[in-house]
Amino acid sequence: MADHNPDSDSTPRTLLRRVLDTADPRTPRRPRSARAGSCALGTLMWLWNLRGTGLERLRCLGARRALLETASPRKLSGQTRTIARGRSHGARSVGRSAHIQASGHLEEQTPRTLLKNILLTAPESSILMPESVVKPVPAPQAVQPSRQESSCGSLELQLPELEPPTTLAPGLLAPGRRKQRLRLSVFQQGVDQGLSLSQEPQGNADASSLTRSLNLTFATPLQPQSVQRPGLARRPPARRAVDVGAFLRDLRDTSLAPPNIVLEDTQPFSQPMVGSPNVYHSLPCTPHTGAEDAEQAAGRKTQSSGPGLQKNSPGKPAQFLAGEAEEVNAFALGFLSTSSGVSGEDEVEPLHDGVEEAEKKMEEEGVSVSEMEATGAQGPSRVEEAEGHTEVTEAEGSQGTAEADGPGASSGDEDASGRAASPESASSTPESLQARRHHQFLEPAPAPGAAVLSSEPAEPLLVRHPPRPRTTGPRPRQDPHKAGLSHYVKLFSFYAKMPMERKALEMVEKCLDKYFQHLCDDLEVFAAHAGRKTVKPEDLELLMRRQGLVTDQVSLHVLVERHLPLEYRQLLIPCAYSGNSVFPAQ
Amino acid sequence: MALSTIVSQRKQIKRKAPRGFLKRVFKRKKPQLRLEKSGDLLVHLNCLLFVHRLAEESRTNACASKCRVINKEHVLAAAKKSRG
Repeated sequence: MADHNPDSDSTPRTLLRRVLDTADPRTPRRPRSARAGSCALGTLMWLWNLRGTGLERLRCLGARRALLETASPRKLSGQTRTIARGRSHGARSVGRSAHIQASGHLEEQTPRTLLKNILLTAPESSILMPESVVKPVPAPQAVQPSRQESSCGSLELQLPELEPPTTLAPGLLAPGRRKQRLRLSVFQQGVDQGLSLSQEPQGNADASSLTRSLNLTFATPLQPQSVQRPGLARRPPARRAVDVGAFLRDLRDTSLAPPNIVLEDTQPFSQPMVGSPNVYHSLPCTPHTGAEDAEQAAGRKTQSSGPGLQKNSPGKPAQFLAGEAEEVNAFALGFLSTSSGVSGEDEVEPLHDGVEEAEKKMEEEGVSVSEMEATGAQGPSRVEEAEGHTEVTEAEGSQGTAEADGPGASSGDEDASGRAASPESASSTPESLQARRHHQFLEPAPAPGAAVLSSEPAEPLLVRHPPRPRTTGPRPRQDPHKAGLSHYVKLFSFYAKMPMERKALEMVEKCLDKYFQHLCDDLEVFAAHAGRKTVKPEDLELLMRRQGLVTDQVSLHVLVERHLPLEYRQLLIPCAYSGNSVFPAQ
Repeated sequence: MALSTIVSQRKQIKRKAPRGFLKRVFKRKKPQLRLEKSGDLLVHLNCLLFVHRLAEESRTNACASKCRVINKEHVLAAAKKSRG
């Protein structure tokens, strides 16, 4: 306890410390008279001189306790015996406490333990005080400490010997943990009580009165402490209400998402034909997918309200299907790949159907958003885009849902794509999507035609499975080849940063084919020039130098660092590692 | 492996190199040749740079013709320019 008593500048702790430091293995009674010159005595005398408040008395008592404690470890039995004897009449409580201290834990010399000891000795009747006064004190004390004990369960009870003190110990310890303000008030009360109780000579009565006052003080604040410490009361944790709607939505999304994830893992590269239209539509679609999560809430509402155009309804199932932006792409890819793989790329119809389905899914959201925008009658540009998208999705959606339109779908798709390729659509889709998202938040307008198409997009999921075994075209040759090429085609469209026509993407594919052919020929020539049959990285570097990519200023390693991810960089660029090793080995 | 990165365009680009695809293509075209371990990564780097240049050129052509969409002709012109 660190009482900062405003009355004096020294605290009991400092006093006790001083006492402890200078304590001699002697009884406190004797040192009181014998240690005239010692510092401890000086403090004691000073303390005794300051008998103004109970605190001083407490300090004295504490000092005495400290002395006792220091004394007891050194000469246990003798000291205690002498102390006990010396204090037979006087503060029997003190002797009791000393005995307790001696027998109990001796290492603890903290003010807390001192106070505890004081309190332990408190119930002992003081010689000087009348019994009547003492009796009622222990009674309430026993009651309240027990209460306190119950309230503060885990208090240290380091003295097992005495039972009654144990009940009081929590009472003592708990207040000991209290802060200064409380203790001050407590002491004030105790002081008043103590003063009122004992007007006798303050020699030995002080101890008992102090303890009694302390007991009283410690007893009383048990209740106010709880009142004064509202922070200690256990508060129920603040919990936000669970948004059941969002939770259910997430459940649905996650339940539908895993298939996409599976597809994503197994087929990193979409099927060739699927890839190009996907690439083409990726621009308008991916922003849609990006806005998916935001649109989910609106999409749900749109579904529920569900009048109007058919296009919007697929948006919801699309949202169902693609919980995340990545998964949407993967899902579309996987779906298209599966559908294309089943039907064969030679057949345009199923491809287009699958494309439309995937596109529809991906575009539904954008459509739904655009629809909502249209319904909300937001800016003209957005309406245009919405219209453009609606046209696209209308054609695609109707085709996709029908699944039987076949040829009509492809043509419609082309037209729709052509329309969608109109200026307002793709380039401004990111901004428009953001705006749409805002609109969605602002206007959860009833989505047009959600109900109609909501069922339809669900059907395509089931309907798609049957079409898969429809036709098995020449799978081995072109599929993986085009699948690999589509990877670079996608990169092309990414680098271009502009919307592209499908024919342009096909052209890119042809260019890539030619490029690979040329590449292999060059490498063969270089390897043969070096007299090797294995193409080594040096050949590659020579090739890039001839292409003008690698110059004297720009080395191959620089290009590797710039364009390849870390894992590949580590494989390509020799780096020194611990143990005097270089990887990859040169 | 770095599979994809989210770019400002909100597009998911896979940075993974289709190593199997490249190896297979090389094997098909030149069965008598062998490709070294990290050779296909460099081939992939070469492809990336090629595609990058082609895309830039196509984009330039499209912007020059004041089209908002890259057309087939733009791509052809770019390919002709780079390869001849």
